[in-house]
Amino acid sequence: MKRREFLNLTMGALALAVVPASVRAEDYRKSKPSVWSAKTVDDGIKALYGTSTIIEKGIKVKAPKVASNGGAVPVDFSADMPIKSIAVFQDADPESAVVVYEATKYSVNKYSIKIKMAKSGTITIAALGQDGKVYGAKVTLDVALGGCEG
Amino acid sequence: MKIKAKLKNGVVKVKFLAKHGMTTYNMMEKKTGNRDDANFITHISATVNGETVWDASTSQFLSKNPIFKFQFQGIGAKGDKVVINWIDRKGKTKTGKGKIR
Repeated sequence: MKRREFLNLTMGALALAVVPASVRAEDYRKSKPSVWSAKTVDDGIKALYGTSTIIEKGIKVKAPKVASNGGAVPVDFSADMPIKSIAVFQDADPESAVVVYEATKYSVNKYSIKIKMAKSGTITIAALGQDGKVYGAKVTLDVALGGCEG
Repeated sequence: MKIKAKLKNGVVKVKFLAKHGMTTYNMMEKKTGNRDDANFITHISATVNGETVWDASTSQFLSKNPIFKFQFQGIGAKGDKVVINWIDRKGKTKTGKGKIR
C-alpha cells in the first residue's frame, strides 16, 4: 500500500470515530422508551422484546447470595449462543430496567456490571437470540443494605 | 474515565470506570425535592478503529461510578485505541481513550 493511500484510510477511520455512536447503534432509550418506565420485570421484557415468556437456557448469571452493599451489586452474565441484544432487569427498584447491551459482530457475550438494588430481589437477564427467541436466566439474592433508596 | 484494555488469545478484555454520580429520581427528590434533578448515563458505546464493539443503553440503577467489563474479538491490535463515548440524561457527553495492551 502506498503511503498516501494508507494516510487516507487512516483519516477515514478517524473521521468515523468522531461520529456520535448513537447515530450508528440503536439507543434503546429513544427507540423503546416504555422499557425504562416499566415497573415490573415482565412488563420491561415485554416492552423490549414483545413477549415476557423467556426460555431459561443458554444464559448464565452470577451474583453474590448476599450483597453487603445494595448500592453496588456485582452481576456477571454471559450468553452461550449468538444474540442480538441482552438486558438486565431487577425487581428491587421502582423501575425494572437496568441496562440493555446491543451485541455487535465483535462481541464476546460476557459482561460484568454493578447495579443498585434497594432491597432483596431477583435479577433477570433476558437476551434476544439470533433465532428471534427470548432466552434468560434469573438469580435471587439478599441485600443487606439497600442502595440509595432506589 | 479509566480504561484498561488487554489483548490475550485474540480476545480484548476491557474494564473501565465511568466517573458519574448516577443519581436516581427518588434520590434527587429526597435531596432537592425535584425529581428532574436526577442525572445518569443513558448511553455508552465503545469503538475501535471506527467500528462499534460494545453498545449499552443504561438506566439510573447502575451503581455510582459504575465499572463495566466487556470483551470483543476480531478487531483491535496492541496499540490500537478503545474509544468510549457516553451521554448522560442532561445531554453532557464525555469521551475517553485507552490503549490496547
